[in-house]
Amino acid sequence: MSETNNTIVIKGLNENGQRISSQEFEKLVQEAAERSQNLILHTYGQHNVGGRLLKGTGYRIVLKGPVGQRLGCMARPGVTVVSEGSASNDVGYLNIGADIIVKGDAGDGVCNAMAQGRVMIGGSIGARGLTMSKWNPEYARPELWVLGSVGDIFAEFNCGGIGVVCGINPKNAENVMGYRPCVGMVGGWIFYRGKTDGSFSKGDVKDTVPNDEQWQWLISRLPEFLEAIGQPQHLATLSNRDEWRMLIALTPQEKTLSNLGSMPMQDFRARVWEAAFGGDPLRDIAPGLDRSPIGLIVTGELRRRVPYWANRANAAPCTFYCPTHIPTVERLRLIREGKIEESYELTLRYTPFPASVCGAICPNLCMEQCSRQGVDASIDIAMLGRAVLDAKLPPAKPNIGNKVAIIGGGPAGMNAAWQLAQEGIEAHIYEKEEKLGGKIEQVIPWERLNIAIWQKELERFLRMPNIVLHLGHAVTQEDFEQFLKEYEYVIVAAGAHEPRRIPFPGSERVITALDFLKSVKSGKPMQIGRRVVIIGAGNVGCDVACEAYRHGAEQVILVDIQKPLAFGKEREAAEKLGAVFRWPVTTKEVTDEGLVLADGEVIPADTVMISIGDVPALPFLPDTVERFRGWIKTDEAGRTSDSRIFAIGDVEKPGLITHALGAGKRTAECIIALLTGKEWQPFKQQVIDKKALTTAHYCPTHGSGSSVTDEADRCLSCGSCRDCHLCETICPTKAISRKILPDGGYEYVSDDSKCIACGFCADTCPCGIWVMKQA
Amino acid sequence: MVAVSSIPSSPSDLTYADLPWLIEHREDRCAVCGKCTAVCPVQAIQLTYRRQRIVGLGMLGKAKNDPSVNYRTLYGIKQKTDVAHRCIGCGMCSMVCPNEAIRPMPNPNDPRLRFHMNQAGDAWKRGGRRNDRDSLLDKIIFTRISMLTDPALDAGRHEFFLNTILGRILPPEEFLQRRAKGEWIPPTREIFPFIIGSMSFGALSPNMWLGLLQGVAYLNEVLKIPVVMATGEGGCPPWVLKSPFLKYIILQIASGYFGWDEIIRAIPEMQCDPAAIEIKYGQGAKPGDGGLLMWFKVSKLIARLRGVPEGVDLPSPPVHQTLYSIEESVMKMIQTMSMAWGFRVPVYPKISGTTSAKAVLNNLVRNPYASGMLIDGMDGGTGAAYNVSMDSMGHPIASNIRECYLDLVAQGRENEIPLFAAGGMGKNGNIAQNGMALILLGASGVHMGKYIMQAAAGCLGSERNRCNVCNIGLCPKGITSQNPKLYRRLDPDQVAQRVVEVFTSIRTEMKKIMAPLGRSQSLPIGMSDAIGINDAAAAERLKIRYIC
Repeated sequence: MSETNNTIVIKGLNENGQRISSQEFEKLVQEAAERSQNLILHTYGQHNVGGRLLKGTGYRIVLKGPVGQRLGCMARPGVTVVSEGSASNDVGYLNIGADIIVKGDAGDGVCNAMAQGRVMIGGSIGARGLTMSKWNPEYARPELWVLGSVGDIFAEFNCGGIGVVCGINPKNAENVMGYRPCVGMVGGWIFYRGKTDGSFSKGDVKDTVPNDEQWQWLISRLPEFLEAIGQPQHLATLSNRDEWRMLIALTPQEKTLSNLGSMPMQDFRARVWEAAFGGDPLRDIAPGLDRSPIGLIVTGELRRRVPYWANRANAAPCTFYCPTHIPTVERLRLIREGKIEESYELTLRYTPFPASVCGAICPNLCMEQCSRQGVDASIDIAMLGRAVLDAKLPPAKPNIGNKVAIIGGGPAGMNAAWQLAQEGIEAHIYEKEEKLGGKIEQVIPWERLNIAIWQKELERFLRMPNIVLHLGHAVTQEDFEQFLKEYEYVIVAAGAHEPRRIPFPGSERVITALDFLKSVKSGKPMQIGRRVVIIGAGNVGCDVACEAYRHGAEQVILVDIQKPLAFGKEREAAEKLGAVFRWPVTTKEVTDEGLVLADGEVIPADTVMISIGDVPALPFLPDTVERFRGWIKTDEAGRTSDSRIFAIGDVEKPGLITHALGAGKRTAECIIALLTGKEWQPFKQQVIDKKALTTAHYCPTHGSGSSVTDEADRCLSCGSCRDCHLCETICPTKAISRKILPDGGYEYVSDDSKCIACGFCADTCPCGIWVMKQA
Repeated sequence: MVAVSSIPSSPSDLTYADLPWLIEHREDRCAVCGKCTAVCPVQAIQLTYRRQRIVGLGMLGKAKNDPSVNYRTLYGIKQKTDVAHRCIGCGMCSMVCPNEAIRPMPNPNDPRLRFHMNQAGDAWKRGGRRNDRDSLLDKIIFTRISMLTDPALDAGRHEFFLNTILGRILPPEEFLQRRAKGEWIPPTREIFPFIIGSMSFGALSPNMWLGLLQGVAYLNEVLKIPVVMATGEGGCPPWVLKSPFLKYIILQIASGYFGWDEIIRAIPEMQCDPAAIEIKYGQGAKPGDGGLLMWFKVSKLIARLRGVPEGVDLPSPPVHQTLYSIEESVMKMIQTMSMAWGFRVPVYPKISGTTSAKAVLNNLVRNPYASGMLIDGMDGGTGAAYNVSMDSMGHPIASNIRECYLDLVAQGRENEIPLFAAGGMGKNGNIAQNGMALILLGASGVHMGKYIMQAAAGCLGSERNRCNVCNIGLCPKGITSQNPKLYRRLDPDQVAQRVVEVFTSIRTEMKKIMAPLGRSQSLPIGMSDAIGINDAAAAERLKIRYIC
């Protein structure tokens, strides 16, 4: 160690000419630095020189001789380290502020993990320069200046450091930046000048040219660099802005895009994808197919379902199950609208006997399926029927000059006549008896039908124009042939008045139900004993039992071979009077003891009656009209094998009074259509699905109302719009509106351009009108 | 006597508690906007009115005739309980609800519905997956981490060769001999080892299928990642067959031969060869059962594409009708397909996972035209299958591929004929890990179907029987529907973009797995010393390290 002019010189060889260790050399440097800021170090490969000068600033350390690794390692601000020749690896390792000047070349790893300070290289550097260098924004950026070129893998993970590669006398003139620089680089600038192989990491940096600010930065600092390395002569060469390029870190946002490729997908579709097909790739096999994107909530033709206002498209259960299909929801609507008279008139157009049949003797099939039962109880249809008792005769059209003969003045024939007459067709009823009404008049006990009601409705019937009565006229074969000449059509409605019997021994002792009931109603009842057995436990059997009790019987037993079919009011009445049902029972014979069963048991009886139904008696009917087991074969209109002869009621098949009324109306309508040149339409509506109704809108009243208006309010109006506006109210897009029709009516319509097919209308409609159809 | 108003009950009547998905609806938040019922694919929900009885129970102060009963009507969204309209848990209602008022929740109890899915005399059919979240692949860990022992590799810094070879690789000496003599050398393709598994144009909607291909094209042409996709049986649009993108497509031929007339017709006009031909003998999701495209998915477009009439069921039988042996199959199918493109295209069979896989493999090894073998394990998905086939038929992929690979190793031919694995890739989202686990077990690459539908198109299906109605054409995302009103919900550009994102992510994860293993320049096929599993029995079966 020697000292002149406050400059201390330290040698790396000891007095024996042997290299001293890095540790000892470091100790000498630290001691010298206590005394002087100017050191000249004749290094001999000692490592980590120039760092750890812990006190003060203004140090200038000049190295002469072979430089070891990590020159300027952990060097501090205010220190200048100058190597007069080249340096080994890792120059400026962890440098935090010193200027480190290497006038020759430097090895690998220059500026590794450097945070501040400048490293200036007068030659070129090896691989991995400027890797992991950091910029702490509290201080100036770290800088690496290289006059020549850099080796491979430059500036990896550089985080804000600035590199300048001047490209003067590069090691490889074809590639001054080495292979794959800037991998993982997240910040900083790399200025370079000269050729490269373009292998820089495109996911991390972009290749660009310096902007004005960057150029100003460079050009203002170049002279100092060149001065420091002692080569100012290159300034002019390096001052040509056009020769400089830059690698700049991508922003995180730019990096994401870079991961995914530089071309936006829409551009790719247009420029590459569709270009390759010359258009849509499906245009040949699906011309015009629109595949453009749509949203989740759509309107118009994009909906998968569409609402449909199916007003009156389906039948209410009451209408459907009534054989006459009386539109009860319609007559209740009229009542709700205060049109009581119109309501009654409507009813009378379907049946002449609403009070007698609906109101009394009918089991009211219509109400068995009444939807209101889902809320509380069915509509009181019998009350509605009785309410029509005093209603006016509905108007009939004037006689249009057609004539129809009706054989039989029972319920079937009378309703046929009633329907024909309303349309102005002359209906001639030929009735064997002196009174109209058939089994209503002759058989059904007055206990079940108040005679006053019947007579009132009969009187109203008789006031109907266009009906001509021929009472007490038993039709003969000759009559029938004549009818076919005189009348356009003949309706056979003679009923079933031939009781069925079973030819077991002693059957001659048995009284038929029909004969017994007719005798009772005619006021000359047959004599019966104290103990009565009735074979056949249907509803007629029950009527017989009731009448038997009223005419002297004390004990009535109804037997049947199967489970009794009796139901409803008839059965209840019989049971109330004490009638007993026995089944299964097979009759062997009838003796004066009573009924002898197949197993030998005897049911004691003074009188045995049989009630197993009646069959038609049709002596007048030509043999050409086809029959099946005694009944006349008909089609769905009631037409027989002879197209001008119809058959309705019990001659067609056994049924209830209501079935007879229904058949009369149906056949009359067919004949009306034929005579007026229209096409006959049978009743084809389907019954509404109860699930379509929304009954929660109604509050249970538990029991029927006490007036027709109560019942009108209770009616769910299945399948017929109640005009409640709920659909209009619930529709979330205001698609539904109520439209007045030219005829004064209304309809609810859904605007396709607003409807999103949520189905709320269908879910809400109390009447099941709105349905969602697949679109 | 039964009251007429009594509520009937049938054996298949269910309550809410019996359904696997329960709709949670908050009436206090509901906007009554109708969007949920409009979007529900199966009409499982409806606006419902509830009549509530308000009972006045005060004892005093009542008027004599006051019934003390009033009613009020509430409304809200309610789910249906019949089998056909059961909630499938897809969650589209939640997606459209503006107020977070509705969502399907899994029923933690015992959903009795399972016992009633066999309506109308047919067993339960569905689409989707096995509904088994358990995944052995998820449990395989990459245990060999190079740090100071090997040159440290950095996934973010080093360059990786990630591709695999599809096709038969000749032993070097044979290759050199053949080349010297100018003889035929079996075709090979350098492809990305994650392959979009075979899903047909028909099973998938046009927007989905074309979106996938568009993404694959982007990956190849812009990002230079050589991803290929398999078509599935059912043909390929003629313009695609004639496009430069055909080289990214593995065409499939199966027992139904659908679409093959159009493919053969297009051969003279093809600009390039397809990536490969896959001969489907079996499918992992429904081994031993054939394909079926149900009639309502056979739209005009699909009919045209497949060369069949519109609106008919399209069955692909479980077996090829005129094949009776492996040898015959190889002769007829592999040779025919190879010859169709002048022996320039790799041809390989796909079989379902089975204990007989090794027998098939050994026949392929001896056949000069066989370019590989794909085993589809039982966790694979499908558009339509019987539940029993999906749940209980087949073989898990891991041990199946492993035993085949070790068999090749024993013969010293593991580098000659590549094995590909499929079935349950990424069922819980771990696609790269699952695929790499199989590669380290011996697969040269993996096929994925469900994962790509979930990741690229937002398929709502899950291993917990969510949605899974691909079979009935009502896919709420438009992935498996042929109804434009549904599939137009899917924007092909977005599908393509997601495909790109999925594959670049897989690429990154592959590097993250390979770098610590110290592998960057070749795929670590069969590098089983680098994996372990915390399951001693599986470790023994797979011949890998047991770790704990």
